[in-house]
Amino acid sequence: MADTAVPVDLSSDDKKRFQQEALPLLDSLYAGALRMTRNPADAEDLVQETMMRAYRAFDRFEPGTNLKAWLFRILTNAYINTYRKKQREPQKISTEEVEDFDMYQELKNHDPEFTKSPERIVLDNIVDSDIIDALDDLPEQFRMAVVLSDVEDFSYAEMAEIMDVPLGTVMSRLHRGRKALQKRLWELAREKGIIKGDGAPGKSDT
Amino acid sequence: MKEVCRETLERAYLFLDGEILSAVERHQIQVHLEECQPCLERYGLDTEVTILVARLKGSHRCPDGLKAKISDLLEQA
Repeated sequence: MADTAVPVDLSSDDKKRFQQEALPLLDSLYAGALRMTRNPADAEDLVQETMMRAYRAFDRFEPGTNLKAWLFRILTNAYINTYRKKQREPQKISTEEVEDFDMYQELKNHDPEFTKSPERIVLDNIVDSDIIDALDDLPEQFRMAVVLSDVEDFSYAEMAEIMDVPLGTVMSRLHRGRKALQKRLWELAREKGIIKGDGAPGKSDT
Repeated sequence: MKEVCRETLERAYLFLDGEILSAVERHQIQVHLEECQPCLERYGLDTEVTILVARLKGSHRCPDGLKAKISDLLEQA
């Protein structure tokens, strides 16, 4: 990567502090990069680029503020500027069709009594790789919102900083992202035979 | 969905996400969820899915090779 060769003009205290504080966040950054790029090789490149950019800009980091959020902002920018261009979105779920999906209603239709906790049947049979598959199928903005919130535990305000959008946009993306994720999980549950039939009223349990 | 249900659920998601709500708002959510079974079930389902996603925490650690490489690059920079 070309820009790793640029010399860094940081005080030795800042250098030490960056190493002490930023290196322990590599696991989180890598996990975030992997969900953005959906590809381990790209994720590694993205993390490396992020750390080098952050190191060079570290004199502009305000001590006492959230370093993890600051690094994720750099990661997100680096991803948008460099990696997104070469990636094709699979778009198994479009941003428009999400609005109508209501997993609760689907489950109700499937089992009107909601007796034996149908969400348990679905959710207990969903494994981590299903969640990853479902997330990876989401449109990028939704995927990022869900991952930043539910995996990385960022607050709405931090997410607004990281994604550089207003708070209302964060909430909307998160809400729609969760709906989209439920839709995809529902489809995966059907594909895996956890749920039989099309889940429509009167057609379930064939 | 009734307006009161929609509003309650919107606030309940703020609560779920650890965003700050007033005591009055929290009370309103609690009262509504106690008397509205569909909202309670819906909120329960959304909570479950959020917990599922949270299981991914720590599931992908940064490869040791990359950690070492970045450490070296920082030393040299």
